[in-house]
Amino acid sequence: MAINARRRIPSSGIIWRDGVVVSASHTVRSEGEISITLPGGEPANATIAGRDSATDLIVLRIKGNASAKAAPRADASSLRVGTLVLAVGRPGKNVSASFGIVSAVGEGWRTWQGARIDRVLRLDLAVYDGFSGGPLVDAAGSVLAINNSALARGTPLALPAQAVDRVVDELLERGHVRRPFIGVAVQPVALSAALAKKHQLSGDGGLLIVSIADNSPAEKGGILLGDLLLEAGGQRLSRPDDLLDALSATRPGEGVSLKILRGGVLKTISITPTDRGEQE
Amino acid sequence: MNASLFGSARAASSNLNGLAELLREAVVEVRSGDVGSGTGIIWGGAGLIVTNAHCVRRGSSVEVDANGKWREARALAYHPKHDLALIAAPSVSGPMLELRDPESLRAGELVFAHGHPLGVRDALAMGVIHTVARDRSKSPRWVVADVRLAPGNSGGPLVDAEGRLVGINSMVVNGLGVAIPSTLVHQFVERALSQRAA
Repeated sequence: MAINARRRIPSSGIIWRDGVVVSASHTVRSEGEISITLPGGEPANATIAGRDSATDLIVLRIKGNASAKAAPRADASSLRVGTLVLAVGRPGKNVSASFGIVSAVGEGWRTWQGARIDRVLRLDLAVYDGFSGGPLVDAAGSVLAINNSALARGTPLALPAQAVDRVVDELLERGHVRRPFIGVAVQPVALSAALAKKHQLSGDGGLLIVSIADNSPAEKGGILLGDLLLEAGGQRLSRPDDLLDALSATRPGEGVSLKILRGGVLKTISITPTDRGEQE
Repeated sequence: MNASLFGSARAASSNLNGLAELLREAVVEVRSGDVGSGTGIIWGGAGLIVTNAHCVRRGSSVEVDANGKWREARALAYHPKHDLALIAAPSVSGPMLELRDPESLRAGELVFAHGHPLGVRDALAMGVIHTVARDRSKSPRWVVADVRLAPGNSGGPLVDAEGRLVGINSMVVNGLGVAIPSTLVHQFVERALSQRAA
């Protein structure tokens, strides 16, 4: 189906569940009520249920009782290198398609805005204007993933249906995806063997705090520039991704205990992350 | 009719999943000096690997990565004109791809390129044979295919739909992938090994 919410060309979307449309967030420029074209060609209106810029997904609810049945899903066993696929788009009146294969399956990929996606599909096919947000289907015509050419800045990717489902559930439930945030910028640094031995630390690195956002949980919690983060919630930290993973594991409103090294002394500080998703 | 069409497309698709797995076993990543990284093809059982000459810097150390572990390797022979290099990494093993005679290739035949384009490990790309370019003696000199290659694909295999080695991906010219025919690669390895033995 097509979504008419930006200049130049409409964008593609897919009926994910009955009455619910999913598309790529960057292609939907308008807020409020959005005009869409249903698979049969008839016009309808939809409202935004929520968007998540980190995975570049947007969820729309179709207004009224227009018939909009969800497409069948492919099973996850098709998420393999070499699977023949069609990328389907509807950048306007007609449906167009592009044929290719799943080129690679990336494990544990992180988008540049920090969302972690267990598996991401890299595609060997041509993605045309307006294809982002449209479905990637397998040889039986079942939906495998949602195409996106913006997440990796131009190279065609697709987010598997399982990952999309998780985001859609959260967006339908609370209108945003929870992203715990404490407000620090960090840089990985090596820890001297002597220091590690002195404090009986496992691993040989930590995260140096290089900036703290104003009024952030980190500032309120008393984190200082130059502190060395060693553990968060019991997890050893050696890469910035480790901190994001540890924060994602926290529950809303719950504190996370941070083990830090300040001036050669070990300290433990508890901080309650805020939800950055809500502010977006 | 649709059901049978879907059935054959599904069968083709699952064959390609198998092809991707075979290729993943048969290739390594090659790193040397400051020339970035390329792909290498396991050749026989003795830890030999063939890659592009431009992926192996002369005088620099060579490392290969098979199954996520970097190991020391050593350059044995170069053929700059054909952009081929033979390296030895004794601890690396894997299946050797069957060879496909480029003489029997026809324009439009489906082919696949495997490699690590732009650092993405084990990526597969699909295309068709564009042409087989020949030298003055009319023997195959380049296999040209309409397949998307990027830096990192260099030295990787171009195979047919049965997984037989058509050539070694070497460069991109006017958007088309250009590979060194498997016949030239075979000759190069045979010559290099006989010279070492002599």
